[in-house]
Amino acid sequence: MPGRRSWSRSVLAAATLLLALQAPGTRLTYRVAVVERVGADSHVVARGSVSGGLDTDLRLALRTDSADIEALFQVTAEAGEDTLTLGAEFFTKRRLGRSRRGLPLWEQDNYRRVVRLAWSDTARIHPFGRPRPDAPRGLWIELVPERGFAGGEARPGEELHVADPAIDVRLEAVVRPRRARVIFNLVRGDTVSAPVGLDLVPDAPPRRLQLVLAGRRTALEVGLARPEPAASARDRVLALDADVVCLRVGLAGAALPVGVLCGRLNNVARRLPLFASDTLLATFVWPGGR
Amino acid sequence: MTESHELWLRQIDAELDGELSLIERSALAKHLASCSHCSGARASQLEVRVALARSAGNAHARVVPRPTIRGRALAFWVTLALLAGAAVGWLAYGRWGGPGSGSVEDARAAIVVP
Repeated sequence: MPGRRSWSRSVLAAATLLLALQAPGTRLTYRVAVVERVGADSHVVARGSVSGGLDTDLRLALRTDSADIEALFQVTAEAGEDTLTLGAEFFTKRRLGRSRRGLPLWEQDNYRRVVRLAWSDTARIHPFGRPRPDAPRGLWIELVPERGFAGGEARPGEELHVADPAIDVRLEAVVRPRRARVIFNLVRGDTVSAPVGLDLVPDAPPRRLQLVLAGRRTALEVGLARPEPAASARDRVLALDADVVCLRVGLAGAALPVGVLCGRLNNVARRLPLFASDTLLATFVWPGGR
Repeated sequence: MTESHELWLRQIDAELDGELSLIERSALAKHLASCSHCSGARASQLEVRVALARSAGNAHARVVPRPTIRGRALAFWVTLALLAGAAVGWLAYGRWGGPGSGSVEDARAAIVVP
């Protein structure tokens, strides 16, 4: 029965499409336009986009002579819903004037804004508050969250075109690593062991690591953890430590850890003294992307 | 009016204030005898001074009495000026405020979904 077969194929295709839109294969894109209005004319001064997996956040910075607006935008989407929640953590500084010593005085503020909108709808962000109707000039940011198929592209992407060089705007993709590759070496004096690489998942149970140096085996237990919340409000609000992981190192079979190493996934080797003259070198890198 | 007349008029002023030496007074007297314009100016200057002395309550004064500032009056006016300044400052602060005036919410970013 060809008719029934075609109907069931359509249902299957629709179900596949729906699943694909909600599954990890969905790519989230934040389309951003910075618009300036002078009198009745408005024009785009900068345009860009940030894309990545559904857990990708957008960090936006807009700087003028008298204000410094930084914000972290996050999208929360429920499966099967056509709407999303756009949350924004703002960290702002405004110049109020000068001190008696001639130094600039800044007013600092941080707060959260949340709106609900449909996918591909435009959210207009007035970074300096709602404009007065009679204001001769105005500046706002138009943000459009979109979703689509990842198409095998898992890495985050950034794009920015600035039409007016007088404006200082930055867009960054913020991604918290789901796993990290750590390359280990053991160093004793001038001798270095062969590198051993492990893919570690934050907050997963520790894994056993064996390094051989000059015929002697050293067995360690290593595990990744997320860092403690940053002490600085700006770092916390803007998730500046999003790509920081902490490596807990312990001796195999021992209850207490030998030490903890925290760092960004930036291919920099970090040293942790172990015992006697042995030093562990750990290099944090992003796992290979597709 | 010529420059020399200007000079003589200043000399008349100084003479009425008692600031001229004998030689200067003699030279001025000689000039006044021959210049009707300057002697007329001297007469009108004297009339003004008489009027000022009368208004100061001493019609028989030898020179125009200088106004004196009394301590109590000075204290009153200084106090009044300070109070007025404080009141204006208080009103201006209430109207325009200091740095960062206005509501915090008005200055914060707003997200609008049209």
